[in-house]
Amino acid sequence: MNSKKKNPIKQILAIRGMGGALTAFVGLIIIYCVFGMINHTVFAGENVMNLLRSMSKYLLIGIAQSFVLITGNIDLSIGSVAGMSAMIAATLMTHGVNPFVAMLITLLCCVVVGVLNGFLVGKFKLPPFIATLGTMFVARGVAYMVNGNRNTDAIATGIGKKAADAFQDFFYYGTTLGIYNTFLISIVLFVIFFFLLSKTRSGRHIYAIGSNVDAAKLSGVDVVATTTKAYLVSAFCACVVGFILCAQAGMGNMEAGNMYEMYGVAAGVIGGVSPLGGTGILLGTLAGSAVWQTLENGLNMIGAQVGIQRIVIGIIVVFAVLLDVVVRTGQLGKKKKGN
Amino acid sequence: MKNVIVSMENICKSFPGVKALDHVNFELRSGEVMALLGENGAGKSTLMKILSGVYTRDSGTMKIFGKEYDDLSPKQAQEAGVAIIHQELNMCKHLSVAENMFLGRELCGKGILKNSEMEEEAKKILDDLKIDIDPKQTVGELPVSKQQMVEIAKALSIDAKILIMDEPTSALTAKEIDELFRIIKKLKADGRGIVYISHRLEELQHIVDRVTIMRDGQYITAMNYDEVTMDEIISYMVGREIKEQFPRVDCKKGKKIFEVKNLNAGKMVRNINFSVYEGEIVGFAGLMGAGRTETTRAIFGVDPKTSGEIYLDGQQVKIHCPMDAIKAGVVLAPEDRKKDGLCTKLSVRDNLILPNLDLVCNKLNIISSEKERQLCDKEIEELKIKTPNVNVDAGNLSGGNQQKVVVGKWLARNSRVVIFDEPTRGIDVGAKVEIYNLMNALKQKGIAVMFVSSEMPEVMGIADRVIVMCDGKITGEVMANKTTQNEILTMATSFEKKQ
Repeated sequence: MNSKKKNPIKQILAIRGMGGALTAFVGLIIIYCVFGMINHTVFAGENVMNLLRSMSKYLLIGIAQSFVLITGNIDLSIGSVAGMSAMIAATLMTHGVNPFVAMLITLLCCVVVGVLNGFLVGKFKLPPFIATLGTMFVARGVAYMVNGNRNTDAIATGIGKKAADAFQDFFYYGTTLGIYNTFLISIVLFVIFFFLLSKTRSGRHIYAIGSNVDAAKLSGVDVVATTTKAYLVSAFCACVVGFILCAQAGMGNMEAGNMYEMYGVAAGVIGGVSPLGGTGILLGTLAGSAVWQTLENGLNMIGAQVGIQRIVIGIIVVFAVLLDVVVRTGQLGKKKKGN
Repeated sequence: MKNVIVSMENICKSFPGVKALDHVNFELRSGEVMALLGENGAGKSTLMKILSGVYTRDSGTMKIFGKEYDDLSPKQAQEAGVAIIHQELNMCKHLSVAENMFLGRELCGKGILKNSEMEEEAKKILDDLKIDIDPKQTVGELPVSKQQMVEIAKALSIDAKILIMDEPTSALTAKEIDELFRIIKKLKADGRGIVYISHRLEELQHIVDRVTIMRDGQYITAMNYDEVTMDEIISYMVGREIKEQFPRVDCKKGKKIFEVKNLNAGKMVRNINFSVYEGEIVGFAGLMGAGRTETTRAIFGVDPKTSGEIYLDGQQVKIHCPMDAIKAGVVLAPEDRKKDGLCTKLSVRDNLILPNLDLVCNKLNIISSEKERQLCDKEIEELKIKTPNVNVDAGNLSGGNQQKVVVGKWLARNSRVVIFDEPTRGIDVGAKVEIYNLMNALKQKGIAVMFVSSEMPEVMGIADRVIVMCDGKITGEVMANKTTQNEILTMATSFEKKQ
């Protein structure tokens, strides 16, 4: 009974959400090794680098969605905000606006969506599914409208080749110390948000309102502010993903980021973030997004069709949650019976 | 020596369509336990929610420690020293004990949480109260009684001077209640003021100094506990004389209706044998966690049985799921009415009809609204369910009326066995008597009634025969009119010696 005996493994597992995260990491290793054995190029350095770069988008989207999921809500507008971000930034740059200024304006627009989501859900108590469904359409609509219902030209036409290259290198094509910048950006943001969520007051409040919003409120937690913060993080990450998509294509695509909000749910859930709120850690999201990308990459490498890829990924998501449910009811079921 | 720390005068509060509080006065002094009494819907909780800043009053004055407050937010109330221990425990189940205790006022240094400091501080407060809980433990893993202790510790960690306890003992065992009373006495000795809301009037004598009585949103009276009798309190609360707290109806014991043989289901249901005869109520007494609820669940087919036979009117019936039980005529009014008994977001009508859809549907499974209406009207009439109309959400009714809906949905069927699991928990004196009368009516109709309750007086007052359980086993069986509380308690605590 007494937990005084300090078993290091138990201590690690006692961290909230660690169980799910570790399961996802184990799954990741297994999946990676299986693909690697079928096709050895999966292990090749170049493939690993590409894998990490492609995974970065999913990681950022996953962080975005995880913050909101932990508060017990959902953000369906992430993909559209990413698309909006790519389109606004690209449109401004094709008109010759300095990339920094363009990014700043874009960020402001995304922040507006984040605050709007936070208020609709936190203050006006709309069901998050509906509120963010609304902002999802609105943001996508803005993405269509900014350049008059068509994709933009190459950004180099506005800001010149040199500036365009610098922008694209910074977000996508460039490397630092042999690692793609995209991955470095996402890891830096991961570390910052990991710290925010696990070590700060706002992070604690995010867990609290996801666990029991009434209790949190009565303890003096500002529910509106906390909800808004979670949606702001979400919008910010979506904005950065928009920059990455813009840099990758060198232009703005109206459909950029389509369905990304669901990829975010998948990354989070595979990593043990509860869609019901209150549990999960970003380490799990990291593992979840890696699982996602490894599957996509691995299935590609062994020549599976897109259709098959989707089916496998769908099964994995359901399986991950099922596993979580089985593990939890197996443990908690006993404890509950004690009355 | 005893200063007035809270004074509320002429407090009024209306909700759409209801006047919840009508010029209510309330006063609390330091170092006293003030019982706030009244039936459900009397406005006790509303008054306390105003004091703790959850609701805003419409009019009236409120002073806390002599300072007048116009508009009080939960945070301001907390800062003024008011803490509320909720009836439905309000904790973040995913967070640890220390995290819950410091929620909303976490200790930070340069924006970083000081976890170990908070844990130490939490440990200190828990130790001070002599509560043995690890501050790192996740709250959801603790039993309800411990969660409540954590809530009290949380209140003390903000140095609350005014503690409001809303039905703190409703989910505790006798031993845990003693522990709670020990803590309450300590808090009192520290000079804190405690508002104590409870429907268990018999426990007041142990701790209470004064009582304030409310009825229908109005202030009735306040007085010293010593100067008033229990009967007076009850008549103030209900506004009429309740002739008998435990109305008993004697019936002739008839033939055996229901028999359970060698029932086993997990650790909490071990080798259970008993029968129920026509014209009797069989009480199930025991401490919380004795396996009574598990037994009812196993009989009803909610939890799987490992072995056991069930006979109804001499015929063996196979019950694998609740549907089997209902078809056979065995029904259960479960313990947690909000969670298991009702769909709180559905209307009273929908709840009443839910298990009876087969009775109101035609061959194509289309619901006949005429039959539906008849059935609802009949139940509401028969059980005297107080509801504005049948379309009200069941969750909005008072506890007693919710319980009647839970029972009512089974009465449309010709059930043979009705199992009540803690039917009177958290409901007021008047409504309790109505539930007792209902059980008596069933008994007179020749229906076998099983009555699980943790409140000894009501088991002894209502049941004809009492079966006592401990640790998943039946440890005794007595006739209710030939036993004493002590005898039952002895049997309820006859644990097996652990190897």
